[in-house]
Amino acid sequence: MDFTYTDEEHRFRLELREWLATALPEGWGETVFEPEDEEERYLFRRDWDKKLSSGRWAGINWPVEYGGRGATLVERGIFAEEMARAKAPESLNIIGHNLAGTTILHHGSQAQKDRFLPPIIANEEFWCQGFSEPNAGSDLASVRTKAVRKGDKYVVNGQKIWTSYAQYSQWCFALVRTDPDAPKHKGLSFLLIDMSSPGISIRPLRQISGESEFNETFFEDVEVPVENLVGQENDGWRIAMTTLAYERGPEDCLGRQVRFKQELEKLLEVCAVEPTANGVLADDPVVRQKLGRSIVEVEAMRLVALKSFSRILAGDERGPDASVIKLYWSHAAQRMNEAALDILGPAAVLSEGDDDAMAGGRFQTSFLQSKAFSIYSGSSEIQRNIIGERMLGLPR
Amino acid sequence: MNFLFNEEQTSLGETVGQVLADHAALTGPDPSRDSDGEVWAALAELGLFSLLVAEEHGGVGLGFVDLAPTVEALGAGLAPPLIASTLVATEAVNRLGDVEQRAQLLPDIAAGETAIAIASAELGRGNDPVFAECGLHDGRLTGRKIAVAGADVAQMLLVVTRTQSAPALALVPTDAPGVTVEPHADIDPSAGLCRVTFDNVAVASAQLLGEGSPGALDTLIDLGATAQSGMAMGIAEVMLKRSVAYACEREQFGKPIGSFQAIKHRCADLAVAVEAGKATSHYAFWACSEDAEDRASAASAAKAYCGEIACNACNDAIQIHGGMGFTWELGLHRFLRRAQVIEHAVGSRAWHYERVVAETLAAREVA
Ligand SMILES: Cc1cc2nc3c(=O)[nH]c(=O)nc-3n(C[C@H](O)[C@H](O)[C@H](O)COP(=O)(O)OP(=O)(O)OC[C@H]3O[C@@H](n4cnc5c(N)ncnc54)[C@H](O)[C@@H]3O)c2cc1C
Repeated sequence: MDFTYTDEEHRFRLELREWLATALPEGWGETVFEPEDEEERYLFRRDWDKKLSSGRWAGINWPVEYGGRGATLVERGIFAEEMARAKAPESLNIIGHNLAGTTILHHGSQAQKDRFLPPIIANEEFWCQGFSEPNAGSDLASVRTKAVRKGDKYVVNGQKIWTSYAQYSQWCFALVRTDPDAPKHKGLSFLLIDMSSPGISIRPLRQISGESEFNETFFEDVEVPVENLVGQENDGWRIAMTTLAYERGPEDCLGRQVRFKQELEKLLEVCAVEPTANGVLADDPVVRQKLGRSIVEVEAMRLVALKSFSRILAGDERGPDASVIKLYWSHAAQRMNEAALDILGPAAVLSEGDDDAMAGGRFQTSFLQSKAFSIYSGSSEIQRNIIGERMLGLPR
Repeated sequence: MNFLFNEEQTSLGETVGQVLADHAALTGPDPSRDSDGEVWAALAELGLFSLLVAEEHGGVGLGFVDLAPTVEALGAGLAPPLIASTLVATEAVNRLGDVEQRAQLLPDIAAGETAIAIASAELGRGNDPVFAECGLHDGRLTGRKIAVAGADVAQMLLVVTRTQSAPALALVPTDAPGVTVEPHADIDPSAGLCRVTFDNVAVASAQLLGEGSPGALDTLIDLGATAQSGMAMGIAEVMLKRSVAYACEREQFGKPIGSFQAIKHRCADLAVAVEAGKATSHYAFWACSEDAEDRASAASAAKAYCGEIACNACNDAIQIHGGMGFTWELGLHRFLRRAQVIEHAVGSRAWHYERVVAETLAAREVA
């Protein structure tokens, strides 16, 4: 066990820190913040992603031949820490980097790698995930969206739902049914679909936070060239499992931990100055107990991710580990958001736009958003089934 | 950076676990101290007490982190807490002792001839393990400590006390005139908890550990809290394993109860808590070893969080075992009881969460 950094790692940190200082707008996090308007905020994040790419700070773990830095575990840890330290904006193309890119790296043909990976790392093409359907959520293998082969094309018909960022994406990777007669896991294929294809329509869905990140996505006779099939026809389930392993893995957790830590920092900042009847919020022992637990849990998210990284580096398979991590961060983050509102007292109910709201109402927004954590990327119940059955060996 | 234990660290823990397992009475339903002497002797023979001692004093010279899996094994095997307290005191002597103290104490410790009990808790001080009413004035120690594990069999006491001006740590032989040790009636009779009264006990300045060093008490707290977190995780892991085993084997409604999601999901949540707790505890061991900047908050985080996880794990295990879980004979109560001893040793959960916040806010001001 060793958490010390080599000189080289230290240099990596300093290089990144210097770059961030010049890349972020002047006064960032102090007087300058992300735009409040949803649409503008996404455009802002898209620009930030492009900036990251221009500094070669996007997809740092990817192999050098595809524009990455081949970053090690430690460097990824440092990256996450420095992003937190600089309060850097969220990336918009997480699905492109962590899911589409990673799946193509594992299962894509050379031609697919050459075609799709460079624009992902350059943040020129953004991606969305077309897995869930109205009748295929937790039971993902029952997707019904059909793809019928006609010559050198698939013709896709059906509906996806909860497609996050479909409105900003140029591409979608989708799980579709290519053999309706095979058992449900065996008739699926993994297709890469151009979102500008004729026959695709998107209808935004409003979320409990009031935002509309996710959508219904309809496919009507959408033509997809066969070269956009990843792996073999009807082998899509196996490929989708790779996608899910990365969606839930330690790298996802580490990236999220950065943002939760920023949230927590902001909360500490508010507690340190917000007056109460006899001091500031941070003087109140009850508040301090809640803060203490949140500090410990946000740190534990990082440690749990690092531990899993170490196992993977030591040669372990990616397995139910990913479910353990996902289940942990999602509930720990929900607890932190609950604690934040609890701590804010009567001002907790005031939202963004109200003059009396604390920290611009951001804790309330985060509280609402956090309710999704235990639903997407496999609900908590599904994670518990996986951990119980595949890790602990409990009977079905 | 690597967050895994090496072969040597892991196998040390396994060996200690094996030795403890040879003494079935340790985890049997009846709390007993009958085999404590044999267990101590077996572990001493194995060289456990020499591991942290430098080679020049007859030891092996390992670091605190090297013992993390071992301390977990002590927790899992319900080893007498005096064993861990001796290891903690050894490391405290390594760090805080002057040349003479080290030369005098460490060889006997390494040989397993000096068991050291740590006397910190007092009545009437809430949950603060630092503030001592027990005072040292003009070379005389007077006061009363409670819940001192193993004081009745230890050779030495490491006492948290205070002089007119500052907190202090005193090494007091248990047979010094004026020291009275009485066993408590307590929740875990196997832990050997004692009341220790000091009545005008002579304490020379050579007996003060880390005299004049402002961080001495923090060092002891951090080492102690971290060791307790390790033992807590040992308990939590046993509770997980036993729960899973029972859930696979016990059938109701014609199926193993582990196939019911209410049980399966409880086991899964427990597995997640064990993973998070261990990560927190292991990091604290490392932070202690390296004297990392965040040592205090890492140790307190581990103590608070792992204590909580261990207590919950015992609750889960009992619930999953149904009526059997509530029987004396099944022996789960032994872990439930020990978890309470750990929970209240070296400061409570609330005290440690508070310390995490204080450390974090202070670090923010510096930044
Ligand atoms: C904010 C957000 C963004 C999303 N983004 C995307 C996206 O970009 N692309 C995409 O494809 N999907 C996306 N999803 C969809 C997400 O993956 C699904 O919502 C999720 O898999 C659950 O499916 P469902 O909504 O149909 O719920 P259901 O499967 O109907 O589940 C309802 C409830 O039943 C429980 N349940 C179901 N099966 C079991 C079982 N076997 N045992 C115990 N309990 C069970 C669930 O845990 C849940 O509590 C997103 C969801 C959200 C909330």
